[in-house]
Amino acid sequence: MFRFDVYIPRDLRDALEALRIYGEEMLPIGGGTDLLVLYRQGLVKFKTLLDLWPLRSNLSYVKLEGGLVRLGALTTVEELESSELLKDKRFAGLKDACRTFATTFIRSLATVGGNVGVAHPLSDIAITLLTYDASVRLRSLDGERVIPLKNFYLDKRKTVKKPEELITEVFFSEPPNNASSVFAKLDRRVGHGMGYVAVGVYAELDNRLVKEVRIAFDSIGRPFPERALRTEDSLRGKELSEDNINRAIYEVLPKEMSRINDYRASAEYRIYLSQVLLKRALLEVGRRIGGE
Amino acid sequence: MSSVSEYYKIVEEVFEKYKDKEFLFVGRHSQRWDSVEKIKGKALYTADFARLYSKLVYVHSVRTKYAHALVKSIDTSEASKYPGVLKVITAKDIPGINDVGYVIPDQPLIADRKVRYVGDIVALVVAEDPLVAREAEELISVEYEPLPVITNPLDVVDLMTLKEKPHVLIHDERGSDILVHYKIRRGDIQKAMREADVKVEGVYKTPFQEHAYMEPEASIAIPEPDGSITVITSTQCPFDVRRAVAKVLGLTLNKVRIVVPAVGGGFGGKEDVANETAAKAALAAVLTDRPALAVHTREESIIGHSKRHPAIAWYRHAAKRDGTLLAVEANVVMDGGAYASLGPFVPWRATVHATGPYKVQSARVDVVRVYTNNVYAGAFRGFGNPQVIFAVERQIDLLAEELGMDPVELRLKNILRVGDETVHGQKLTEEHGVGLEEAVMKAVEASRWFELRREYAEIKGPVRKGIGIALFYHGNSIGVEGADYSSVTLIINRDGSISIRTGLTEFGQGAVWGLALIAAEILGVPPSYFKIENTDTSATPDAGPTVASRTTVMGGAATVVAAYKLRRRLNEVASHILGCDPDEVVIRAPEVYCSSDPSRKTKWVDVIEQSFWLGVPLQEFGYYRAPRASWDEETGQGAPYITYTFGAIVADVEVDIETGLVKVNKIYTAYDIGKVINRIGAELNAEGGAIQALGYALMEELIHDKDGRVSNPNLSTYYIPTIKDTPEIIPIWVEAKYRKGPLGAKGFGEPSFNAVAAAIANAVAHALRVNVTELPITPERVYMMLKSKQRY
Amino acid sequence: MSKVGVSHASWDTYRDIEISFKVNGKEVKVKVKPYERLIDVLRNKLGLVSVKGGCGRGECGACVVIMNGKLIPTCLTLAVRADGSEVLTLEGIAPEGKLHAIQKALLDTYAMQCGFCFPGVIMTSKYLLDKNPNPSEDEIKEVLDGNLCRCGSYLRFVKAVKLASKYINEGKIFFDESEVMR
Ligand SMILES: Cc1cc2nc3c(=O)[nH]c(=O)nc-3n(C[C@H](O)[C@H](O)[C@H](O)COP(=O)(O)OP(=O)(O)OC[C@H]3O[C@@H](n4cnc5c(N)ncnc54)[C@H](O)[C@@H]3O)c2cc1C
Ligand code: FES
Ligand code: FES
Repeated sequence: MFRFDVYIPRDLRDALEALRIYGEEMLPIGGGTDLLVLYRQGLVKFKTLLDLWPLRSNLSYVKLEGGLVRLGALTTVEELESSELLKDKRFAGLKDACRTFATTFIRSLATVGGNVGVAHPLSDIAITLLTYDASVRLRSLDGERVIPLKNFYLDKRKTVKKPEELITEVFFSEPPNNASSVFAKLDRRVGHGMGYVAVGVYAELDNRLVKEVRIAFDSIGRPFPERALRTEDSLRGKELSEDNINRAIYEVLPKEMSRINDYRASAEYRIYLSQVLLKRALLEVGRRIGGE
Repeated sequence: MSSVSEYYKIVEEVFEKYKDKEFLFVGRHSQRWDSVEKIKGKALYTADFARLYSKLVYVHSVRTKYAHALVKSIDTSEASKYPGVLKVITAKDIPGINDVGYVIPDQPLIADRKVRYVGDIVALVVAEDPLVAREAEELISVEYEPLPVITNPLDVVDLMTLKEKPHVLIHDERGSDILVHYKIRRGDIQKAMREADVKVEGVYKTPFQEHAYMEPEASIAIPEPDGSITVITSTQCPFDVRRAVAKVLGLTLNKVRIVVPAVGGGFGGKEDVANETAAKAALAAVLTDRPALAVHTREESIIGHSKRHPAIAWYRHAAKRDGTLLAVEANVVMDGGAYASLGPFVPWRATVHATGPYKVQSARVDVVRVYTNNVYAGAFRGFGNPQVIFAVERQIDLLAEELGMDPVELRLKNILRVGDETVHGQKLTEEHGVGLEEAVMKAVEASRWFELRREYAEIKGPVRKGIGIALFYHGNSIGVEGADYSSVTLIINRDGSISIRTGLTEFGQGAVWGLALIAAEILGVPPSYFKIENTDTSATPDAGPTVASRTTVMGGAATVVAAYKLRRRLNEVASHILGCDPDEVVIRAPEVYCSSDPSRKTKWVDVIEQSFWLGVPLQEFGYYRAPRASWDEETGQGAPYITYTFGAIVADVEVDIETGLVKVNKIYTAYDIGKVINRIGAELNAEGGAIQALGYALMEELIHDKDGRVSNPNLSTYYIPTIKDTPEIIPIWVEAKYRKGPLGAKGFGEPSFNAVAAAIANAVAHALRVNVTELPITPERVYMMLKSKQRY
Repeated sequence: MSKVGVSHASWDTYRDIEISFKVNGKEVKVKVKPYERLIDVLRNKLGLVSVKGGCGRGECGACVVIMNGKLIPTCLTLAVRADGSEVLTLEGIAPEGKLHAIQKALLDTYAMQCGFCFPGVIMTSKYLLDKNPNPSEDEIKEVLDGNLCRCGSYLRFVKAVKLASKYINEGKIFFDESEVMR
């Protein structure tokens, strides 16, 4: 069926009740920038959409509270980008991800929760949030669950979220002052593109010493964003020097990354580009932390 | 026959009269007649009319599952019963002839016996809501017998022998999947090859390119009480659409009326697909007796209309040590996809231009166009020329490298000038207007070619720079492809305002405005007095198709004829009023006066009013037919086009050698388009053509998988340039006037695309010291080129 | 030829939802289907045909309007979402007989080609100028990056937004149509 009904909830509880009643026939819609495109192609089927927009009054926020950075699931990319929080260099990677995200008018609809919810390699905000080791807060009538984002994805377009759950928030610990991040992607045109490869890097440096580093790619093998844990390990506790970076990208990364061949690019080029972008991102994060 | 000589005489007489004059309107900046309505969002494009019809029905195309298969049976009974569905149409419901082929009848509107590509339609669902139609589609069952799918044209012919290979025929009814084979034979190739000091050779590949006009195809058909039908449609060729609709419905031409409102871009792509959308809408309208809308989604547009032909071209160039070109040999295979479309003509233009704008003493050129199961290829700005320009201009750069010459010097040694013969033996004279050398010199100077060519070669580090040049020529209008005529009606209304009616359609670039400027100049009336009426086959005269950069040259010539005749009559009337000689009448609307005594004056509206009462006709029909072109099928000798547009493009680029991303910084476009008539139109065309060609050079490529399905059928996977990709574009004009053209003008619609990608490719080759043989130059291709260079 | 009829009432089982919102300053009430997109309601039910459909997938920018101060693609927006909102389309950016500074500037820079992308380009530019009356060249390109123009008037868009910015800073927001250079 291409026609469908829409349920417009009064509040979160009402929404959760609707999900319970309708079960798998109902899908929540955030910005709809992913869902409505799939629907148009006949790739998702549902009888009713649960419109999450009315929940924005409570679920659209960017907060730093009690050592936690909290992003409401219905915060749009545009709102995130223009938030006070993102003026802080510690969140520079999130700023990159917002700035290079789609186009002006998609950013005004696409939500943080939706980006996490798509479970697809091309989800820039989710990639960056992985580098902050963020967690996803899920709500259902049964209560609340918190799932680390790194354990959230099961497969392409599959997550641990149950149909009756909603994503209400994504949160992570406030980074220390010696931290910053970078997000980068590259495609064949200068203007907006989805990226052959996308990479996020978060680091904490003591002088040049890597106290903590987290690296996430759009994919390192499975069809969703993941961390490059071994590459991170190879850098942790070392100096952020060109040599160490080269060792990480040439010797470690290829061992943990596999890529697909498709009409957009070959696996070989994707791995190569992952190396180039990671190297650039690591150098850039060093500069950012150093205040350059 | 006297009228024949008359229109030639008029065009030449007007050329002579104006050639040294300062123009009032021609060549100056002016605001198009439709720009204010468009800027206000009031201009109506086809789909915008839908809301006016309350009983409108939607036509949804059910397309094949397979790119190549026999259709065994089709069952639409369930779908027909689906609530909200008015009718499911299959091939057997077609009252007339089931064909919408543009040049040859090889393309059914609805597949009956077999399907040949993923865009083929097997049924039309007509419903009151487009979503209902999509739901009903799922109830249609079609039994197919899949056949082997051919996506590589080299599975149909061999590149070196051009012989057809054994395969399951796509057009079994024709007995061969080679559509056409064109040739040039000149001089003694073997001898030239033996005597040459240097030879260079290569194989060059160019991709399918999608027009991606912003307005997807749309047609609305309205059944009329007398059994005739009106179709509002987005097309470049309303008279061809009329023929197609009449054929499908089995009606005479006068029972089909095609109206063309504002059109959101065409670029060649809206030549033949409108046959299909208009016929679909018309069929649904007739069978349901309701107004019917057929509008393509973006995905349908991409898989369902013609593309630029991909080409695989093998070339060998031979030259003397001093750089003199001796011979060119070429085999070119063009992938035409599933249907002929404009396929009989595109390879011909490629053949004519296959050696570039150079003096070539000996040549052997063979160009074939084959059927495959890909999306069909047809017309696209440049029409076969960009593909061969890419190959030729890469070859010339290789030759320069081989000879140790600068690419510009080598080109200057060989380019066509007045007095030279083209490879077809056509002698170029002063009359043709040959401004290539001047274009090269100006582009070289503006771009600081010699300086940057040296400077960039020294650059080290991760970002390299390069500068490249490419030249072209482009035969004007359609040459021997068809009847090359045009016509225009000028109507002066009682209030002095003027209407222009022509079957040439305006699809965005403002070409038709050039006709108003020509008429304005000759009549002495400012362009703001003019309105160009929408094309309507029941009101505007057939002016031939709006293709092949014909509007200004052919439509302009017809306008000169009409305006000239009107002006002569008005001068007579004014001379009565003013009491001076008709030749002394000066029209500067709103004033009209005598040149000998400007105080003797009257008003433009009064001259018009007087003419009306005197019975002097205030409308005039102008017709023009191009001088005959000639072409020998076996040797390619003759005079294929009436004249040529020339150009030299310099591109200045930078390449990130780590990622492979190419960025174009500047494009210098030096064009000899004869007299520049519509300056704004020319500038916009130069910019727009360059940006499209930048896409062709760097990012655009429609990809089919092995089953013939399109991998990137939308605008987030098929990339076109955005505002961020757009470089600085520096237009340079050279006006080598074509004496037989309107006020000396030549055509420019397509040439603005032609050589830009080749110039970018040459610039990338310069930046990286690699041989670029394939478009688009994606980051991955750059990476691969650099990788193989390191290896050797 | 067989004519086919269909009974109107039977097939459409989906409910109508009445929404009310402000369009170009006017309150409107309209019945929509739950599955209807805002683009179709604006175009077909309210006659605002400046809102163009170029892709239906959020990829081209032809359909954008300003809703509650945000630039949104109406092809990816459910019509029910307009309930209670304020929508501005190209039809409403200047009083009758007047042109907005950005419209005037686009004419002054002779940017017009096929015009299909223009409604989106104008709305995007207005959105930018409302937020930032003095955008730099890079900021202009950043914001207009999603508005595809296949005719290639991009260079003129940049010039026009700068010119409009100048007009606005001089206090000239609206122009008489008669002021357009011919
Ligand atoms: C032209 C275009 C360009 C794009 N470019 C980019 C890009 O550059 N980078 C990028 O990362 N993405 C891009 N996208 C993809 C898309 O915009 C993002 O994935 C976006 O973040 C999705 O958010 P949304 O709110 O629109 O999600 P929706 O489409 O509303 O939902 C996506 C999925 O998540 C579920 N969902 C949404 N919200 C919730 C929730 N709160 N609780 C539970 N489930 C939920 C939905 O049911 C659905 O399955 C692009 C899309 C388009 C159309
Ligand atoms: S139609 Fe909405 S963005 Fe293209
Ligand atoms: S003017 Fe035609 S798409 Fe922009």
